[in-house]
Amino acid sequence: MSTVNFEKIVKSYGDTSVVRELDLELPDGSFTVLVGPSGCGKTTTLRMLAGLETVTSGRILIGGRDVTKLEPKDRDIAMVFQNYALYPHLSVRENLAFPLRAIQTPKDQVATRVDSVAGPLGLTPLLHRKPKDLSGGQQQRVAIGRAIIRQPSVFLFDEPLSNLDAKLRVEMRTELLQIQRRLGTTALYVTHDQEEAMTLSDCIVVMRDGQIAQQGKPQDVYDHPNSTFVAAFVGSPKMNLMDGTVTDGVFVDDAGFSIGVTNVAAGRFTLGVRPDDILIGLDESSPHRGVVDVVELLGPRAIVSVISHGQNVAAVVEAASMTGIREGATVSLGIRPGSQHLFNQSTGLRVGS
Amino acid sequence: MSRIKPLGVLRVALLWAAVITVGLPLIWVILGSFKSPAELNNPNQLLFVPTLGSWRAVLSSDLIFSAARSLIVGLVTVSISVIVGTMGAYAIARFRAGGSLTRFGILAAQVLPPAVLVFPFLTVAYALRLNGTLVPVIFAHLSFVLPVVTWFLIGFFAAVPKEIEEQARVDGFGRFAAFRLVVLPQVLPGIGAAAIFGFTLSWNDMFYGLILAPSNSTILPVAIAGFNTFRGVELGPMCAAILIAVIPVLIASFFIQRKLVQGISGGAVKF
Repeated sequence: MSTVNFEKIVKSYGDTSVVRELDLELPDGSFTVLVGPSGCGKTTTLRMLAGLETVTSGRILIGGRDVTKLEPKDRDIAMVFQNYALYPHLSVRENLAFPLRAIQTPKDQVATRVDSVAGPLGLTPLLHRKPKDLSGGQQQRVAIGRAIIRQPSVFLFDEPLSNLDAKLRVEMRTELLQIQRRLGTTALYVTHDQEEAMTLSDCIVVMRDGQIAQQGKPQDVYDHPNSTFVAAFVGSPKMNLMDGTVTDGVFVDDAGFSIGVTNVAAGRFTLGVRPDDILIGLDESSPHRGVVDVVELLGPRAIVSVISHGQNVAAVVEAASMTGIREGATVSLGIRPGSQHLFNQSTGLRVGS
Repeated sequence: MSRIKPLGVLRVALLWAAVITVGLPLIWVILGSFKSPAELNNPNQLLFVPTLGSWRAVLSSDLIFSAARSLIVGLVTVSISVIVGTMGAYAIARFRAGGSLTRFGILAAQVLPPAVLVFPFLTVAYALRLNGTLVPVIFAHLSFVLPVVTWFLIGFFAAVPKEIEEQARVDGFGRFAAFRLVVLPQVLPGIGAAAIFGFTLSWNDMFYGLILAPSNSTILPVAIAGFNTFRGVELGPMCAAILIAVIPVLIASFFIQRKLVQGISGGAVKF
């Protein structure tokens, strides 16, 4: 049982706080992803759990054991770095066996363990090679193999996929998730890629300025972002955000776009609509019209950028209903009823829909 | 075939000029060591009956003991320099110990001419009753070999990614074990080159040896200078003695030439 708890964790360098009073629980066997823009403290948080950074104040518990002051070697963790950090002077076999050397595993057992890890990762034919003779994907597999061989209580991943090309990245993502599910080991994963965060995690933790902006199931965070920051960060293409005023239950965009909203007092607000919820048509009687600026085809769907009243609005349109929608065409714009999000304009916090 | 470029010709010409400048005296010394005293009086004579007389004289003289002393001084100096220098270079490269000034400061002692340093060494050695032994020579040599070895190694340590060390710590090893098992193997070629380079510096130094260890504990360069006697220069034995001093350095340089460039430039380029 290895639930991980961060209790009021603070990390500061002199006067600069990188992580501020972070409270976070990683349930046993869960896959949690820390995501956020660079400098938000996500990597520092991971490194504090690894023991590679000291904690300024607060406690870190692994399986109920206080590890705050322990050396990395005494924490029973495994880590995969962005650049894989394979030992250049050791063969693949020796790299995989390295963590076992630390716990003085008998020789015959080491060989069996290495073989049993190398097999499923497809590394068996490469065991005698040096890291420099491996492709990026193979190096990545060795790094993962080395992390799982000791059967640690927690896996730590520091942007492990960002050095791979796009195709391999998606493949390895799936593979990583399968391995974690099979082993049932608690995992903490850091990335700046929100798509990776959405697809991998049981729990997504969006960080900003050393604090948690929002955490929860990926779908919940996507469906109910609690601030404009999270709304803009999670989801691709980015959520459309427009400033406007609410009077008598009607939101009127500064460009004149209007929509009915509920349970909101009058005032200044920001309206958010996912590109998937923007409806594009050829209705000439519609009061909301715009000119298609760019069409980006993704295969089954396309991202259509429309300029309406001087504002750029992104919409995702099914390829099947693209008839008449091409660059330069005038189109009508609508919002899928009930799909809008409303945020306080000055604080950025969610107020309703 | 590509055309002959004027710049290329110039480059080759310059290289040959350098090779000849360095090579000719050496060739002359090699020839001289096999000449008889009479033939030595004619430096232009290239054809002669080789004799081993000079070599015999040198090998049966005290020069061999001087060479042994130089070897001891070199080995002790280098051993201390490598052990201390490795730790120092690692600390400077990884933890920026002492700030960026250390990287320059470490070589500051080189600015002082040996003539300034040698008399304090002599006074201290005398006060400790160590004068006339090899101990002050070793300490004097450390004053320039240790900083150079440290400087040389900084670049090699800086080139080792910090992550592999952190990975080793996460994989279950303490700081020192991580250093020994993961960092050290990456810089081993550099350490080897630094050791040979440092040894050469110590082996070639004559000044400190001349003043700190005269008479009964002369080191090799001092002994070689001793062939310049009041009866005139004993050219033949001197040539043989010079070769004994130069050949180990030549062989060592050949093996470390690539690392030598990397060590000197690596330490110099990365700040």
